[in-house]
Amino acid sequence: MSKKEMISMSKIASGVAIGLMGLSMGYVAPSLASETEIDGFVENATYYRDGRGISKFRNTLQLEFNKSLQSANWMNVSINGTLRGTYDGVYDLNDEEFGKDATEDYLGANWHDNTTISSQMMLTPGTPFPCDNNPTMCSNLNDYMDHDENEARFPEFNDELDFIRELYISADKQLDNGNVLNLTFGKQQVVWGKTDLFRVLDVINPVDYSRHNIFDELEDIRIPQWMITAELQMGANNVFDDSNVSLIWNIDKFRPNNLGTCGQAYRILDAGCFFASGIPLGPPGSGAPVVPVIHGVEEYDWELGNTQYGLKWEGVYGDATFSLNALHYRQQLPSIHFRANTANPEVPVPFALDGVFDIHFPEVNLFGGSIDYYAEGMDAVWRLESSYTQGEELPRDTDGHKETDMFRYVIGFDKNIIIPELGTRSAFLFSAQIFGEHILDHEVDMPNDEENWFATLLIKGWYINNRLSPQIIIAHDFAAQATVIAPSIEYLVSDTLKINLGLNIKTGGDEQFPWSATALFGQPGVPQHEPLARFTNGPIGVANQEDEVQLTIRYSF
Amino acid sequence: MLKKLLVTLAAITLFSTSVTAAGLQDVENSFYPYKNGAPSIPGLAAGMTVNQSNVELFKDALDPAMYQFIKSGDTEIKVGDTTSFDLHPSYVEATKANLPTVKLGTKPGEISGSLAGRPFPEEPSLDDPRAGEKLAWNYKYGYNWGDSAAIMPFYWKFRNMNNAKVERTLKFNFHFLNFTHRTQQEPTPAITPNPSNLFRGIYVQVLEPFDVKNTQLLIQRFEDDLKRDNAYLYLGFQRRVRRLSSGQVTDSFLGSDIMIEDFEGYNGRISDMKWTFKGTRNMLMPMYNHNEMTLDSETHKDDEGYQVVSFGGKGNCFPNVTYQLRKVYEVESESVDPSHPISKRKHFIDAQTFTIPRNITYDRKGDIWKSWSIGQAHPDHHLAQNKGTGVAIDDAFTMIDIQAQHCTTGQFKGIVDPKLTPTSKMTVNNLRKSGK
Repeated sequence: MSKKEMISMSKIASGVAIGLMGLSMGYVAPSLASETEIDGFVENATYYRDGRGISKFRNTLQLEFNKSLQSANWMNVSINGTLRGTYDGVYDLNDEEFGKDATEDYLGANWHDNTTISSQMMLTPGTPFPCDNNPTMCSNLNDYMDHDENEARFPEFNDELDFIRELYISADKQLDNGNVLNLTFGKQQVVWGKTDLFRVLDVINPVDYSRHNIFDELEDIRIPQWMITAELQMGANNVFDDSNVSLIWNIDKFRPNNLGTCGQAYRILDAGCFFASGIPLGPPGSGAPVVPVIHGVEEYDWELGNTQYGLKWEGVYGDATFSLNALHYRQQLPSIHFRANTANPEVPVPFALDGVFDIHFPEVNLFGGSIDYYAEGMDAVWRLESSYTQGEELPRDTDGHKETDMFRYVIGFDKNIIIPELGTRSAFLFSAQIFGEHILDHEVDMPNDEENWFATLLIKGWYINNRLSPQIIIAHDFAAQATVIAPSIEYLVSDTLKINLGLNIKTGGDEQFPWSATALFGQPGVPQHEPLARFTNGPIGVANQEDEVQLTIRYSF
Repeated sequence: MLKKLLVTLAAITLFSTSVTAAGLQDVENSFYPYKNGAPSIPGLAAGMTVNQSNVELFKDALDPAMYQFIKSGDTEIKVGDTTSFDLHPSYVEATKANLPTVKLGTKPGEISGSLAGRPFPEEPSLDDPRAGEKLAWNYKYGYNWGDSAAIMPFYWKFRNMNNAKVERTLKFNFHFLNFTHRTQQEPTPAITPNPSNLFRGIYVQVLEPFDVKNTQLLIQRFEDDLKRDNAYLYLGFQRRVRRLSSGQVTDSFLGSDIMIEDFEGYNGRISDMKWTFKGTRNMLMPMYNHNEMTLDSETHKDDEGYQVVSFGGKGNCFPNVTYQLRKVYEVESESVDPSHPISKRKHFIDAQTFTIPRNITYDRKGDIWKSWSIGQAHPDHHLAQNKGTGVAIDDAFTMIDIQAQHCTTGQFKGIVDPKLTPTSKMTVNNLRKSGK
């Protein structure tokens, strides 16, 4: 499907949604039940990266609005929207480091030294913004991480109309049996789960990691989708204090996570440059043809069979709030499928000469649940969340990929403690999480460990009537032995002006590099290669040279 | 349904006349303390002002914090007529019906036989070691906001008391709903189904400013006082519901000078405190007719022409309302938990309504920390729809952090209307839905 067709589909989706709503309601009064509420903010985020200079000069205008409507048959009818426009000036202020002309000396130069055979001779450096520099690669990456520099400069103003962060209509219908049916149509975020930073159940919307790796609020980096949700709110019964069943139908065309195009300041796992590199068929500098790493990206046309859907039952039972979730969706991280050389047997390479891998996004079935529980004896809250998926594909060093079932979980612990010695009567929040990931059909040549854990710790305090709030976030990837430490301090100058100054320091990770599981490259003393080492280093380890000072100023209205 | 209840209550009352004859007189005395005339203090009259120049004459009619504020010139108070705040007849009748059955349990926080109404209408006695606890129950099961009500909107201002600067203004909606102990709004006496046997729900939604917009709080209080409240917080920027630990209930709420436990004068479990009755006094309390007060024409404007109470005095930390001389029970509550941020509160409970218009909070060292006032407006002189509801309308509060010279003030538009607070407001799902 072309981009133009996709825009049309989005428009059709919205039109259908709103039309359905109008029809089903029978009547929506044109007169307004209330004034339109509009608010929003303007924000500048300026980040400075050690050794690289300015890495972000993001200027954002965000508007949020809500308008209530009157209806003869429905209650709480409202139209809600969030519009966002961003200009990131880093590509104008620091174009030597970031942008279409920001070439790198070798693949992975932004996160490891040039001691690997792959970076020295097997792979070319990533091409920054391929669509500005290399038409073939641009074509190969069509519709996935193929942004040009201008699209990175103005990320919401694209063919997907991402400046419309949200636009949906919501209404309640009182049923004869006392239940309430809520219908919501439009472009929206639907949030499942209870975790911070890492996602287990919160996978309905893909996310944009190019904004700031894993560190921005998910609220700001979820990529809204055109969806229809129906929720039956059953309230209390003789067993549960609250019980609701919701059905989600994502009618949007599939969009994967945005990992950041080569040339952008934030490209998680450096995948963008890997996908924009190639394998030369001769010595470096010889002028030999280069085989692009990516041959193509599988597209999933808009058709019923390609839509995504989920079901959630949630409720409250005594002291526990719980949910049971099921979701049929597409994997949002790319799965690279190896392409063997069958067309040109005379050339002694194992891979196809028009591209080594195709990118796929396989269908996944997720089953999961969450529960939180207040432990009175500890005066603390425990959060548990887990998911079991079928259909995910993980990369392999020798065979491209393998489908495997996955089990993930998060155990969270939140406690508030007053520490008078720290000069405030407000309690400090201590929030810790352990995120576990288990690959059930693991192979030795998978860069991901069969079992891996991340740990996060948030400590947040409040001073002068919560107007001054220091916090520290620490996250550690056990397999990569990589850690990020992010202290920050936020000051509310007034109701409308907020300043946040922070550091984002990474350590470790590169010790796990290089990596390969093959006999050839896995032997001690034998030169090794790195293409998949980015996965062993994880999102924190690959960003090990991205220590930053970050200043954000927001004026809200 | 109401008729049925009243008939049942009347039958129970008749049947138990011989047992409760004295009790019924207690009920009359409890709900109508001014039927034989208003209290008086020599020299004090409606229309006068108590200020630095004459405060010593009326020291006994003031709590220690208010006395100190007036003495130091931080504020002065205008005296109004003592008026009767008659609670709704259904609540009085429910009280009569309960007389034969209500009993304290063996431990603080235990009570039985209290279906609705005021559990212990009899005059408290200093000789009764559990008198303070009984008064606390009267407050908990009081007719504070009736069976349900909403404050829409509700303005909180954080003020520097020294320079009167308004540092922050929050705009909320608050909703209150009793699941049990209902007497006036259908259904009575309880909403069913109610599998966890909830007593009360409080739902709070932040409307402004932008950085905390859509923050929501839900408190579910159980009929079993020994069971800790379930409290949930929804943070708009996270779009997630978080359970609150009790540590957050006794923490500053959104940076204000108020903790969740301070709401309405006391918003916690009976069993969290040791309650001691300290005596009955006639005191000046902020109770008045809203429509006759000096109102604030700037903070809130609406089509009804409703305006909120204005503030003045030092740092604009004091509501511009009249105070009237009223019968008051002084009760102390000491924290059972040694890690609780306060050591005790002194509550000055209005004997007729069992609202708590005045509180003094003491820190762990035993020093005065904060002063709480919540003005009670007569429902017949407020919004037209509140007339006849028999609810003393919470109308203006101030929590002054005396040590920090800082205050948080609250300006209300309180509405007694069951349609504003359906049961669905008090669900976790409503947090998600409203916050989206």
